[in-house]
Amino acid sequence: MSGQRSVKIKPNYEVIAWKWMRYTAIALIPLAWFHMILQDVLVGVHRIDLNYVQVRWAFWGWRVYDFFLLAFAFAHGVNGLRQVLMDYIHSEKARIWVSWGLLVFWLVISLIGAFAIIGGVRMPSS
Amino acid sequence: MLVTVKILRYNPEKDAQPSYQTFQVEAEETDRVLDLLEKIKGEQDGSLSFRRSCGHGICGSDAMRINGMNRLACKTLVRDVGDQITVEPLLGLPKIKDLIVDMKPFFDHYRRVMPYFISDLPVPEDGRERLQSPEERLRFDDTTKCILCACCTTSCPSFWANDQYYGPAAIVNAHRFIFDSRDTATAERLQILAEEMGVWRCRTAFNCTEACPREIQITKAIAEVKQAILSGKV
Repeated sequence: MSGQRSVKIKPNYEVIAWKWMRYTAIALIPLAWFHMILQDVLVGVHRIDLNYVQVRWAFWGWRVYDFFLLAFAFAHGVNGLRQVLMDYIHSEKARIWVSWGLLVFWLVISLIGAFAIIGGVRMPSS
Repeated sequence: MLVTVKILRYNPEKDAQPSYQTFQVEAEETDRVLDLLEKIKGEQDGSLSFRRSCGHGICGSDAMRINGMNRLACKTLVRDVGDQITVEPLLGLPKIKDLIVDMKPFFDHYRRVMPYFISDLPVPEDGRERLQSPEERLRFDDTTKCILCACCTTSCPSFWANDQYYGPAAIVNAHRFIFDSRDTATAERLQILAEEMGVWRCRTAFNCTEACPREIQITKAIAEVKQAILSGKV
């Protein structure tokens, strides 16, 4: 557009969170769809067991894939939950507590998932 | 024709809760809902309270819920809503009496976005006008039409959930100055609207656009403000 002006806006947490929701949503379209088609249609949920996961994670590419799926899907979901809660929590103090609580929740669950992905599968010795 | 008007009444000195009262009014189909309210107040119950001023869709005083939609009583004809009419005060703002709500929270949000012209540029040499091209004026033409009736803000589900949200009307009035090429407080306004209770609380429900009696494309204006915050370009 002609005559467009530039303005300097200091990015705050809300701006970054809003962008994050859009970027993760774009990333999740191929990640989640392919995951669902592979696991639920091509493989089938009844054939997924420890042995299957061991075979799958023998290839590092799948571990990276699963890590991205975990990181994007969970962060997208937790931030979405935060957005909904912010609508209904009227105290500013409570909003800060809930935001920090959700951040810790996201971090702990993501770390557990990341450790599992990095650690891989150790089949029990028979 | 005989019109049945059901009104949500509330007298804080007598009632614990609002309750409906029904009136029968003889009316023409070209009568306005405001005419019906005036008839009821003048002929049946003088205690009925509502705001009105110009009566011609300009002042924005008589915004109310008519058959479940936010409208101006002076712009709504009987033929548009039928002979069974329910009238309620606007949602999301504290009720004062009958159809009168406390507009203070609404105007507090309005003031927060600095809805006035700000320029730190020197006065033009001729000491008169700061010129603008027709294209530059067109950029914010739509949002100059706002009459501050609150139909948009009080139809917004995000505002119903949390009245700390600045709401569509405040954003529309910020838009009017953000996209004005002569104004120099663009960054300050965008920074205010980038806060937690600013534009991000908009879920694009489009209720505001449907409710606006001036037919302002409000959801589009909000999206333009979001885009300006993200891109740093107006």
